[in-house]
Amino acid sequence: MNMKRILVVLAVFLSFTVSTQAQRYITKSGNITFFSDGPLEKIEAVNNKVNAALDSQSGMFVFKVLMKSFVFEKALMQEHFNENYVESDKYPVATFKGKVTNISDVNFNKPGDYQAKVTGQLTIHGQTHPVKTTGTFTVYDKGVKGKSQFTIKLIDYNIEIPSIVSGKIAKEILITVNIDLKPLKQ
Amino acid sequence: MIKKIILAILILGILGALYGWFFVYNKPHTNFEKSKPDFEVTATGLYNDYVSGKGNRYNGKVLKLTGTVKKTDDGDTLVTLVFVFNEGMFGDEGIRCTLLPKYNPQIRKLTLPATITLKGFCAGYNGTDVVLEQCSLLK
Repeated sequence: MNMKRILVVLAVFLSFTVSTQAQRYITKSGNITFFSDGPLEKIEAVNNKVNAALDSQSGMFVFKVLMKSFVFEKALMQEHFNENYVESDKYPVATFKGKVTNISDVNFNKPGDYQAKVTGQLTIHGQTHPVKTTGTFTVYDKGVKGKSQFTIKLIDYNIEIPSIVSGKIAKEILITVNIDLKPLKQ
Repeated sequence: MIKKIILAILILGILGALYGWFFVYNKPHTNFEKSKPDFEVTATGLYNDYVSGKGNRYNGKVLKLTGTVKKTDDGDTLVTLVFVFNEGMFGDEGIRCTLLPKYNPQIRKLTLPATITLKGFCAGYNGTDVVLEQCSLLK
């Protein structure tokens, strides 16, 4: 009887630890695009080698983005972006460190769409600024897809646009994030 | 005579504008397959340089890299060769090289681990991986 009780307690304990085990979801091929809707010209750039990690228990959410991986339609724009605006030789990586504040609302075991609230610190061009946005997590059989859109102001990141091209580049840039996170095998 | 000079200036102006349009504003992206490498490195050497903070000189340069590939990540259009050196919060850490799509069939035939030499554009180190892009397979 005693033995049986111990076994039951052990089984309950084990199943509990398994179900609450923190799971990390990652990608190294996340997609971020930015879009500048300037008065004279629309400029778009794509980066599909973004690192992202999400902790399903704490809600910790981290992005690492290499600035030189952004691809523009025109080589000249890409050159200006790297050399004059974000100075990617000096500041090669942009990072986001934050949290999904309502992570408990996301059921990682039940496929479906969940609204997510995200807050954190975004560092670009060596300048850090708080970001608050919302997005969608879609839980499916292979992992979690994440989507979000928000705008940033160039001035917050100390990115100066020379007045001669100021008509071509918007002061606010629309950032679109699309990631397909897979569970990290531990 | 004046008319001829004005005409000549106009033609030169138009030619200049056309030159600017085609070769400056619309200049093509660099073809890294044809670029001469700035550095010749081994995978281990490159990774160690970045981890120890001496890697920034490779940023934005064309590298010829030799090493042992342990893994590939096969997406629909992009195949990534992975040189694994470490484990961290993002899983495997090391060097990740995305190939020009024309090399995908060749890579999919490789038996891993395999020692290879490739050439590509180094985008830098994101704290976990060194990223090489538009790589071409040399051998």
